[in-house]
Amino acid sequence: MPYLMKSQALRILIGRLGRALSVSFWVMVISFAIMRIIPGDPASARLGAGAEMEAIEELRKTLNLNGSIFSQFTNYVMGLLQGDLGTSLQTGRTVIDIVSSTLPLTLYLIIFSTFFALLLSIPISTSIAWYAKAPIVYVFRSVTAVILATPNFFIAMIGILIFTVRVNWAPVFGYDPQFPQNLKYLWLPILVNTLIMTSVISRVLFSSVTETKEEEFVETGIIRGVGRRRFFWFYILKPSMAPTVVLLSYMMGTMLGATVILETIFSLPGIGRELVNAVLTSDYPMVQGILLIFGVITVFLSFTGDVIAYLLDRRVKI
Amino acid sequence: MKLKTRWANFKDWIALPGGFGIFSGLTMLVIIIILGIIIPNFGPYNSDDFVGEPFAGPSLKHPFGLDQLGRDLMTRTFSSVGVDLGVAFLGVSLPLVIGTVIGIVLGLAKNKYVLSLVGSLIDGINAFPLLIIAVAMLTFLGSGLKSIVIILAITNWARYARISRTRAVIVSKQNYIEAAKTLGYSKKRIILKHMTPNVSSETVAYALSDFILVIIIISGLSFLGLGAQPPTAEWGSMIADGRAFLTESAGLILFPGLALCWSAVALSFIVEGISRRDRGI
Amino acid sequence: MSINPLVSIKDLKIEVRVTRAKRLSIVDSASFEIESGKIIGLIGESGSGKTMLCRSLVGTLDRRGAYIAAGQLIFDGIDLIAAKQSVWNEIRGKRIGYVPQSALAGPNPVMTIGAQLAEAILQDENFPKSDVEKRSLELLNIVQIRRPETVLKQYQHELSGGMKQRVMIACAIAQQPELIVADEPTTGLDVTVQAEIMELLKQIRKDFNTSIILVSHDLPLINEICDDIVVMHAGTTVEKIPSKLIKTSKHPYTIALYNSRIDLVEPKGQLKTINGQPPSVGNWPAGCRFSERCDFVKDKCRVKQDLPLIEIGSNHQTSCLRYDEIAR
Repeated sequence: MPYLMKSQALRILIGRLGRALSVSFWVMVISFAIMRIIPGDPASARLGAGAEMEAIEELRKTLNLNGSIFSQFTNYVMGLLQGDLGTSLQTGRTVIDIVSSTLPLTLYLIIFSTFFALLLSIPISTSIAWYAKAPIVYVFRSVTAVILATPNFFIAMIGILIFTVRVNWAPVFGYDPQFPQNLKYLWLPILVNTLIMTSVISRVLFSSVTETKEEEFVETGIIRGVGRRRFFWFYILKPSMAPTVVLLSYMMGTMLGATVILETIFSLPGIGRELVNAVLTSDYPMVQGILLIFGVITVFLSFTGDVIAYLLDRRVKI
Repeated sequence: MKLKTRWANFKDWIALPGGFGIFSGLTMLVIIIILGIIIPNFGPYNSDDFVGEPFAGPSLKHPFGLDQLGRDLMTRTFSSVGVDLGVAFLGVSLPLVIGTVIGIVLGLAKNKYVLSLVGSLIDGINAFPLLIIAVAMLTFLGSGLKSIVIILAITNWARYARISRTRAVIVSKQNYIEAAKTLGYSKKRIILKHMTPNVSSETVAYALSDFILVIIIISGLSFLGLGAQPPTAEWGSMIADGRAFLTESAGLILFPGLALCWSAVALSFIVEGISRRDRGI
Repeated sequence: MSINPLVSIKDLKIEVRVTRAKRLSIVDSASFEIESGKIIGLIGESGSGKTMLCRSLVGTLDRRGAYIAAGQLIFDGIDLIAAKQSVWNEIRGKRIGYVPQSALAGPNPVMTIGAQLAEAILQDENFPKSDVEKRSLELLNIVQIRRPETVLKQYQHELSGGMKQRVMIACAIAQQPELIVADEPTTGLDVTVQAEIMELLKQIRKDFNTSIILVSHDLPLINEICDDIVVMHAGTTVEKIPSKLIKTSKHPYTIALYNSRIDLVEPKGQLKTINGQPPSVGNWPAGCRFSERCDFVKDKCRVKQDLPLIEIGSNHQTSCLRYDEIAR
């Protein structure tokens, strides 16, 4: 019986992995298709009206636009399998090279903000939900609603107004990748991200804890005399955590998208700013490659989130 | 007397859960829409006219002051209302209609291959952060508000379709649909009279909250220079323009930013109020 | 009346805060005692206040915005109304065990059964950690769970309703408490499982000399295992009667509750039901609160008055004004 039980959990996890892989396949298809579904020829569009036929033909070849759609796709997939995401038209560097040099910064930004957001949300939302004092709940809901309705670039601009224009604590130009110096450039973007993520996470955790505390097993725990610390973890937080983790993994994907704007504002050399540059210079292979990377990371994040949620709480359907 | 009962009814309505949120959200929204109609159309200035010294501070003639080119900031801020809310309205309603219809069709479809194919396509599109896929597609469609509406229509429908399909499957299993079938109602009638109202109540609810997200995306793309093009007044691009002149005038970003927040907060109060009313707390 | 009962409840009044200014009384006047080693059945329809009365015994009224407004609540000489957190820490899980309502509760869904048993066992700080598993298996054996080694590693959603309730009982008896509070422990379970759980509770009382307060709306079900029955209606205790004498009850409500059962052994024609709905909290009639549903009602029952329990026999108290006229 325990073997059967273990294999049930394993079966669920493998099923979820299968879904992640199949979605990844579609992410690949979409990244491939994006250059081809739009009317007109991207090669001639990039080179302009007066371009020579040979130059257009050359670019079509580089962009893998020759032959049947099927053979183009095969080429694309074969390339991906060899780690070839194409070559930037603008700089001549390989896409994979640019991605691996810019992605870490973006990931730091997100991981740090997520970490701080969790650190803040857990005490804030559990205590507000547990004591449920009407005026405090009202303030909490309103403040988080206002933060969520504010675009991140406006929050960032206000931050800059305060910390860069008034007191020069957060430089907006330049970047120093060395460890202690880089914090000078990173703390404000991380703060902006943290503020937004804290609002999202604490709202979900709040409603989740509000639901949990009404459950009968919580009362049973109190009456069993469970100690404070144990009670907090096993009877309040852990049963409320699953929806938060699922949302968190989704939000990290959305935040990845939002860094496009943040990195542009703070001129940080991350993958988001690279994407904007690629868009502005019609660097098709770069756009395609970064889109694929973003898609795969998001799929992986939501897979991880679902798995953690399931391990925390077996009631979760993933 | 009649007025008195109306007032009493109104007071009862407000006292219900979420009533105050819905009321204040609606009021905020109506105020900014009215200002957005009156000031650009009947105000003394045109949003593109140069009417004075650049960076002139707030005065009686120009309550918000003038921008970096000497245009009236108040006129520009409020002429953005129509641009942002209008584009967002299109950017929500098109995916809403497309997604709801596709979802209902999928909910009723029997063909396994079509189902799994479109289903995976939906999952695939939803896998990308909306902002990212929008930015990527803009590369090929060219910048501009028109492109943004097209992109929202061809990507954002997938989120609505997922909600709509789930709901359609549930509804189609409910007794009254079965009853309608046994009564010999035509498929068309069942879909139009029973299925659509049920499914769309769910997708419309999502559309309201999506409205906020879409406003943020439109202004965000414009902020990046990929949306509204000069000289169109639009909150996101106004803020982007103001970035270079932070030391000269903070108003260049504060006024459009606050107007943007005002609209989004109004919508979020409405959304929160409605959800509280539904849950009855 | 015994000299030194384990639990003594006297004129207990429980109120709930509806709004800042508005209070509603849910239990108006409850009085009874529980002697050591006895099983007391607390009977009543929903809304009679029996669940809240239970909560007052385990100190979780405030979770529902309720509090004790008046009266006396004493557990083994300890005044539970004035009890501070430190006092509750010594009582909960150690001297009073709790078995929750079966339909809603069950074990914590994010902990294995083993972890929860360990938690209950380790309420005794001096218990050696190395013996926890042995003791867990022992407890599961007491509550007659088969394959206890497997169950230890399982989560609640993998267990049947009856199994869950057995686990809850195992947790409740881990410290061999003097009192077990069981709030509708079998509601929603199969009839055969209900009977098994009742049998189990009876066995536990026999083995450990534990007092049990058994809350239920099903008088015929619990009558057989209880020593005494306390009947609640609309926030008041209306009768206390030894279960052996249930057929000689002197309160029309008790009689109605007993007769409204479905007799599976000898179906005797039509099922009797109690007239009308129980009066809702806050709308209790003046005078006898059962008067509007009672077949025996007279004008004097409707007069506004207090109806204390009157001693009418050995260990038998009733609040009916016409008890001496009631005969069956």
